[in-house]
Amino acid sequence: MSLFLQRTFDSLANGTIYAGLAVAISLVFRSTGVLNLAQGQMALFSTYVAVLFASEPSPRLAFTSWVDDFGTPWPIWASIVAAMIVSFIAGALIERVVIRPLGDDDPVPAIGATLGLFLLFDSFIREHWLDFTRRFGSPFPNQKGDWWVIGGARLEWDTVGIAATMIVALGLLALLQHRTRLGLAFRAVSSNRQSSTLAGIRVDRVVMIGWALAAALGALGGGLIAGQIPVRPGMMDRVLILGLAAATLGGLRSPAMAFVGGYLFAATETVMSGYIGFIDTRVTLVWALAVLIAVLSIRPQGLLRTHKVAIGDDP
Amino acid sequence: MSPGDTVDPMELTPRRQALIVGAVAVIVIGVLTQASLLFTTDATKVAAFTLAFAGLSLLTHHLGLLSLGQGAMVGIGAVAGLHAVRDFGLPPTLIPLAGLAAGFLLGAIIAVPSLRLPKPYLALLTLSVAVAVPIVIRQLDGPLPVTLDAEYLPPSWTGIDERDEHQWEFIIVVAWVLPTLWILHRLLRGPVGRAFIASRDDPAAAAAFGIPVRRLRLFGVALSGGLAGMAGGLTVVPVNITDSPLYPESLSIKMFAVAVAFGGQRVLSAIPSAAFLILLPVWLGDRNWVVPSGWEGLLKSEGFIYAVLLLATAHFTKGKGFTHLLGERRRARRLGLANAPLFTFQRYRLK
Repeated sequence: MSLFLQRTFDSLANGTIYAGLAVAISLVFRSTGVLNLAQGQMALFSTYVAVLFASEPSPRLAFTSWVDDFGTPWPIWASIVAAMIVSFIAGALIERVVIRPLGDDDPVPAIGATLGLFLLFDSFIREHWLDFTRRFGSPFPNQKGDWWVIGGARLEWDTVGIAATMIVALGLLALLQHRTRLGLAFRAVSSNRQSSTLAGIRVDRVVMIGWALAAALGALGGGLIAGQIPVRPGMMDRVLILGLAAATLGGLRSPAMAFVGGYLFAATETVMSGYIGFIDTRVTLVWALAVLIAVLSIRPQGLLRTHKVAIGDDP
Repeated sequence: MSPGDTVDPMELTPRRQALIVGAVAVIVIGVLTQASLLFTTDATKVAAFTLAFAGLSLLTHHLGLLSLGQGAMVGIGAVAGLHAVRDFGLPPTLIPLAGLAAGFLLGAIIAVPSLRLPKPYLALLTLSVAVAVPIVIRQLDGPLPVTLDAEYLPPSWTGIDERDEHQWEFIIVVAWVLPTLWILHRLLRGPVGRAFIASRDDPAAAAAFGIPVRRLRLFGVALSGGLAGMAGGLTVVPVNITDSPLYPESLSIKMFAVAVAFGGQRVLSAIPSAAFLILLPVWLGDRNWVVPSGWEGLLKSEGFIYAVLLLATAHFTKGKGFTHLLGERRRARRLGLANAPLFTFQRYRLK
């Protein structure tokens, strides 16, 4: 029982990150109908930005001299916040420069553009930081003894801190959506873009803020997970797939279901690789993909939604 | 034809057919007589991938769908073909048939959900297949490459030296590819092709005219998968192995990028697409362009080139591709719009 509990605790941190990315993907898709396939690479880029702010100037790490004037290295929390600000601006710029000019008549150019962004960020990271692999350091205490023992299993402060931070961030996002004028505009745009335009809402600006918020959320997720696994190119590939699978559970349009999906996938992943001998982490990815394919085949609108998704729903 | 009539750029007139046959003959003879071992192997891969691109062209330009998983279909075809020869005694020259069957089957399975999904969901579905297939192949075949255990030795009547078996491999692949392309061309230029286009442009109207839209599109998607599987079987011919890293998801993404940018309704547009996919890394390597890292490395990396290609296609052609745009321009000029612009800059269009 304690082993099962331990595995469940272990999955908490990963689940939080998957949930964060899934919510970011849902956020963009809901407001724009664009499936941002570059979300994972954007988050990885943001993680490297956080690493830059938290590192001593070094010839091994490209661009450290660029942030040297700001008195780096900064504490980890400050670095993550700086990366979130940079990502917020970058997300808004990407929407304005890359996505908006494509229009919203046909989703193919937008899919192509996000794939282009995926390759662009991936190439940039590989060409500049391929040789750099290291742990970023956790913003929470994670030394020996920094844990609670519950039912014979260790629940690390680090894990709880990551989960709590992401839940607070997502809670703030929910508050923004449901308690502010911007949130009201955001919900209106998600519901019907044309009517929102007629009602005087500046749709372009709302969509741009959606992209910016999603990028900042990705930066937070990347910065938090970087304390658990080494920062390296390709680090976010797996997270992106699991995030996409989690978002699919909500039909790509429900941040709440995407959030739950993130934890479900992480728990299943940890339990499967722990209890079934021949299954390693690569195979659990196939399981997640199988769920994704099954959901898309049977209930593309998501597990809880009743509105059917059909070809005419192309944004 | 009366003097006022114009020739449809899509129409293969006898003169154009003769030109194409002549060009293909020159290329094949040139490869066989002049090319080095390495270039012949690359040309063999180009020929094989032409089928995969023809399938992708069918999917994108005739059915109005998209696929980010065509590379995975190639992988499935390669593995199925290799095991059919190695474990079930299929004659090695028939390897593409096993690939065709496997690709057709997987294509038919994917076709069922894909026909009712909007494009973003379809992109996600096919991308998932692209990610899953290499992992499944690795799980089935293990981390090491699997060899074919068969050789393609040239028969004595060909006059090809046994040490030049790469030339014979090229001939085998071309002998499969050219007739397949011809059959596909005839299919797409005939009633089936017109029915594909009708069901793409207006499914309701097509159904009203008695076209079995759903069955037809199922067949189209499965055929596209089958062609990719056949290409996969043929890719085993020059290299004699399969290995999961040979069919990563990036292969599917690159194929999508090239097919959208350079593909068209013509089957022949698959040839430059395949040549770009195979020869770009060779060219980069030959020119010693692949430098270790930094800005220079970024500008000369394959990933960056594909990224620029995708972004440029999205922006300047609105996802329709440069080939489509050139065709449109030619049509516009024929209609007397002599200054028809090459690109429509979406950023500056009037709303």
